[in-house]
Amino acid sequence: MAHLEARGISVRFGGKAALNDTTVLVERGAVTGLIGPNGAGKTTLFNVVCGLQAPNAGRVLLDGDDVTRKAPHRRARHGLARTFQRLELFTSLTVRDNVRVGGDIHKSWTRGRRDTAAEAERVLELTGLASIADREVAEIPTGQARVVELARALMTRPTALLLDEPAAGQTDEETAAFGRLLRRLAGDGLAICLVEHDMTLVMDVCETIHVLDYGRTIAVGPPEQVRDDPAVIEAYLGTPEGV
Amino acid sequence: METFLQYTILGLVAGGVYGIAASGLVVTYTTSGIFNFAHGAVAMLSAFTYWQLRFGWDWPAPLALVVVLGVLAPLLGALLYGVVMRGLRGTSEVARIVVPVSVMLGFLALSTWVWDPTPRSPRLFLMFFGAGNTVSIGGVNLAWHEITAVVIAVVVALGLRFLFFGTRTGVAMRAVVDDPDLLELNAGRPERLAMASWALGAFLAALAGVLITPMMGSAMSAHALTLLVIDAFAAAMFGRLRSVPRTFVGALVLGLLGSYVIGYFPSDRWTWTGNFRVSLPMITLFVVLLFLPQDRLRGATVLRSRERYRLPSVRTAVVAAVVLVAGMWLLRGILAPTAVNHMAFGMSMAVIALSLVLLTGYAGEINLAVLSFGAIGAIIVHHFGVSGSGGDARSTLFGYAAAAVVCALVGALVALPSLRLRGLYLALSTMAFGVFVSNMLLRDITERQLPLLHTRFSIFPSGNLGVPRPKFGPVDLVAMPTFLMFLTVLFAVLGVGLIALRHSSYGRRLTAMKDSPAASATLGQSLVTLKLSVFMLSAAIAGVGGALMTAQIGSANLDRFDIFLSLTLLMLTVVGGIGYVSGALFGGIAAGVLFVALQNTFDKLGVDHPDLEGFFEFLANLTLVLPALMGVSIGRNPTGAVEKILVDFGPVRRVRPVLVAGIATVGVAYVLARNETISNWWLIVVTAVVIGVMPQAAKRWAPGPSEAAVDGTALPAADGADLPLELVGVVRPYTVADREMLDAALDVPAGKG
Repeated sequence: MAHLEARGISVRFGGKAALNDTTVLVERGAVTGLIGPNGAGKTTLFNVVCGLQAPNAGRVLLDGDDVTRKAPHRRARHGLARTFQRLELFTSLTVRDNVRVGGDIHKSWTRGRRDTAAEAERVLELTGLASIADREVAEIPTGQARVVELARALMTRPTALLLDEPAAGQTDEETAAFGRLLRRLAGDGLAICLVEHDMTLVMDVCETIHVLDYGRTIAVGPPEQVRDDPAVIEAYLGTPEGV
Repeated sequence: METFLQYTILGLVAGGVYGIAASGLVVTYTTSGIFNFAHGAVAMLSAFTYWQLRFGWDWPAPLALVVVLGVLAPLLGALLYGVVMRGLRGTSEVARIVVPVSVMLGFLALSTWVWDPTPRSPRLFLMFFGAGNTVSIGGVNLAWHEITAVVIAVVVALGLRFLFFGTRTGVAMRAVVDDPDLLELNAGRPERLAMASWALGAFLAALAGVLITPMMGSAMSAHALTLLVIDAFAAAMFGRLRSVPRTFVGALVLGLLGSYVIGYFPSDRWTWTGNFRVSLPMITLFVVLLFLPQDRLRGATVLRSRERYRLPSVRTAVVAAVVLVAGMWLLRGILAPTAVNHMAFGMSMAVIALSLVLLTGYAGEINLAVLSFGAIGAIIVHHFGVSGSGGDARSTLFGYAAAAVVCALVGALVALPSLRLRGLYLALSTMAFGVFVSNMLLRDITERQLPLLHTRFSIFPSGNLGVPRPKFGPVDLVAMPTFLMFLTVLFAVLGVGLIALRHSSYGRRLTAMKDSPAASATLGQSLVTLKLSVFMLSAAIAGVGGALMTAQIGSANLDRFDIFLSLTLLMLTVVGGIGYVSGALFGGIAAGVLFVALQNTFDKLGVDHPDLEGFFEFLANLTLVLPALMGVSIGRNPTGAVEKILVDFGPVRRVRPVLVAGIATVGVAYVLARNETISNWWLIVVTAVVIGVMPQAAKRWAPGPSEAAVDGTALPAADGADLPLELVGVVRPYTVADREMLDAALDVPAGKG
């Protein structure tokens, strides 16, 4: 059984199906890719998994427990964390405090004795944000802002991590460093699900890739296999007749 | 059975008029996303204008109706949207609530300016077709006016249904709020549609106002008509502020309930029956809130966050607190006894305003009835916290502690139904609670036998709640100057405490929730728990502050806790800067002292100089409208006045000679005032001039390079060496070098484009 499972998820907005019986499994110790054209339903799936969107059908299992009906904060306390495609940083706080508040929240419900300040410094160091820690988040470039979201999520000590287009807005060097960081985190035992358009990054770090199109899974497998899958090529480039 | 039928018919009539008012609210909310708190005020202004034309100037009714309903009201609505509300798209929820509230307060002030609230003869607004012109339906004598109202309600309900679902304009109107950008792409014009809907909303408000005023029976009251908005939103809540049909159902339910309460509650035995009927919409509102489904969690809804609060360090806060206490001590030495009185009142209001800084400034939630919690605090101290009697009576520490606890609990009850919903719903709940407190608790003035307890008791005995000044251990605060210093110290201590709180883990979590509820929740924060805790803490501060305010006056009647005063305090605190402790000081002093003092001064000047009386009367009235104008300006400067002063004074702190000269000038003036060589007015004038001149002087004498150096540290990498490209032009001006660099990077021949 995978650590994080979204099984048979369907979401309809009015008459339009955003997700149609989609299943995604995310194992610990690996990065699982989730790709597909814009509007394929990737972000909707993330919202369902973390509890911001109730599905019309399907179940979400985290570490074997059914969390489908649980509130977002309950799932977070169960070990789930995410980043947002449309950045959701705390704009009144500095980079350091954005990261630290993740620890504050975690501490508030674990009731443990922790030095969140010191822990935040370690995470800032790990993610390469230490040099901009005192800046306002509104001032930093998007690429780095996405790393702040990741750092903040790490402060909650998650077991499963959902990353929604973390490399968008990053320079090539930043993306390369980010890939190394992801592999390191996966190596530490995290279950990571990555939504990303940067194919170099996806092919580089993912062990398994799920491809979504119009709310349906059209391919699942290791990168080499998915890359050559005719259905995937068609979804991205259009039908051969159309070309 | 026959009486039942009669009350049903009367209830349907009342419900119909509620429905007209409520549907106007729904129309503006669906199309602009802004809840129009001024809806009732528009109805009020329209009713008064109609009265002026029809009964004041004896115009024929049809002409007056056409002018008011057909021209003035829609014009007012369109203007409101065009001038004020349009600028609120994408601002914070606080601005989108406080600005319409300011408009409402402004309209109210305007109406008391034009129409003297205590006229020599009461203004009578007669029914259309005459009150005596009735027909009997089902054993009830209904005036033609009432029948007309029901018919109009039906026409409005059907008309709106047709507009929204049967016409292109209506469908587009519904699309506006969902996604204005998308609509614009599809060649819709969201701005024009929103303006049209505000015109329609104002027309419906005016229609309701003109119909309901004669049915309210007694002489016209601006306050009562303005509060119509609460009855209306209680009805609109049935349709979640969106659905017109359900809003009409809600209106009918409210009308019927009210009618049955009058019919079947024994008003002689239950002294509270009348109060209960008036409070019915608020009670219904709470029940409806309990059944509303949970909102989808939103991310940062603020698209262009213009508020930026700098957080002072705890050390700076302590220094400021000491300066405040010392300053007040010096000021106390030269103030006349009445001025000390006013100042103490202002400081007690500032303590209450601190609760708003915590709740709104730090946590982003809104309480529109902060003084109602103050009233609860005062009631608790009056009943359970007074020792001694007569001149020796003192309020006790136990009383204030009990007030804090009870207010926190009441706050939890008020907030719980709406905590899982959006901030607007909490704001509406508090407003309903405020009116409920004013109508039910503060009007419970006759003593009655309590069942089981065998004591006689009333919540607000004889309409005047006495709270003596406190004595804590050996410290007796009965003398007003001492009490003023106590309030100042309390404010300073609470203020430093709040800033320390904001620096704590709890404070960061509050800020996180304010900035992005969705991100907070996905990090594991239970939003309900956090909102509940901060609301309770804030209510406790407000309760203690309200009890102290009552102690300052000695005894307070229910006007002291009026919802409009709560709104004014909130508005002025936001004007000062809701994210700052000093914003609370500004709000409290402005609400409690400044505008009262200005108005008194102008009144006195008017009496002293009869030839200029008209001019001073104008100024006095202007000071009534002024706060509202300041409130409306929040949309343009949401961070507040204190922030602006801080920015202006930035250079002063770096130019020592100017700083020293300024302080010395004020110091000399103070000494002269203390010797009574000059009057306090001169001290005020000198201080004002110094404050105005100092920033200019500092700019003038600032040593050039050092200023640049200081700015350089404030803005990282001003030389542009490692400045990210997207920030060029934002944090520092765009230069020729930048363009050459861009040209090179994009491979464009230099100098083109």
